[in-house]
Amino acid sequence: MAYSDKVIDHYENPRNVGSLDKSDDNVGTGIVGAPACGDVMKLQIRVEDGVITDAKFKTYGCGSAIASSSLVTEWVKGMKVEDAMEIQNSQIAEELSLPPVKIHCSVLAEDAIKAAIRDYQSRQAAEPADEEGAR
Amino acid sequence: MAVASPSPSESVADHFARFGLAPRYAIDRDALESEYLRRAAQTHPDRFVGRPSGEQRAAMEAAAAINEGYRILRDPVQRAEYLCKLAGIDLDSSDPRGGAPHMSQAFLVEMIERREKVESARAEGASALQALRDQVEGEADETLDEAADALDDDDPNGAARLLVKRRYLQRLLDEIDGEH
Ligand code: FES
Repeated sequence: MAYSDKVIDHYENPRNVGSLDKSDDNVGTGIVGAPACGDVMKLQIRVEDGVITDAKFKTYGCGSAIASSSLVTEWVKGMKVEDAMEIQNSQIAEELSLPPVKIHCSVLAEDAIKAAIRDYQSRQAAEPADEEGAR
Repeated sequence: MAVASPSPSESVADHFARFGLAPRYAIDRDALESEYLRRAAQTHPDRFVGRPSGEQRAAMEAAAAINEGYRILRDPVQRAEYLCKLAGIDLDSSDPRGGAPHMSQAFLVEMIERREKVESARAEGASALQALRDQVEGEADETLDEAADALDDDDPNGAARLLVKRRYLQRLLDEIDGEH
């Protein structure tokens, strides 16, 4: 498999590897898997005032999947949540020049950021209800 | 001796039919092997030297299909996955319709956690890593057996789910073996 320079760069120096506190209500966690190959990815975001201030990932997968998730964490930092929701796997695949057989690896990264945002949103929606219940 | 020309339906026939086998998980490996050798000899390019090019091409295609069929059928995992494919489920596709079934969130979380633990087992030493490897391999084998049972029960959807689970376990094994 010939990897592009950008893939190799992200693979060798992945940005933002790690974890955020998943019990923090300002953190959204997305965990997704690629059924066709059995690879798994965890991507987390921290949101303040509707803006993503931090992003971390752990990817157990091929070089393209690691590069895709690394790239997405770089992109989303400083982005509004709504804008991050618009990220498409085709943009990732284009930036990294992924060949057709590796498209599913970029799909994994798109799924992961969307899952993280949805998790964050559901925590925010649940929060006021909890407070009311506590009163 | 007359040159056997490959039947025109060769490329569309399923691999089980190609070797005269019933489309089932349990197969007679000796029958597969002898039929493979017989068919491979029949379609060998040497037998088509000097024949019209269309016939040569057909023989080459038939030989390729026979080789591929043999490769798939003799491997238990690939054979099981192929039976799902015949039932309309392509495990190599991520398409929500007709592709590999998606696993539950709980299972994916478990897989992330288990893959995280590979590093700590590696740090503990070779015997810890080997113990982990044996355990995962046992699970993968068991999962294949369950998939085979599901196929025998005419439940390709259940089998597909189990085979996808096996793929995640296989990736975990690859990680333990450092093949990434
Ligand atoms: S091969 Fe599975 S994510 Fe790339």
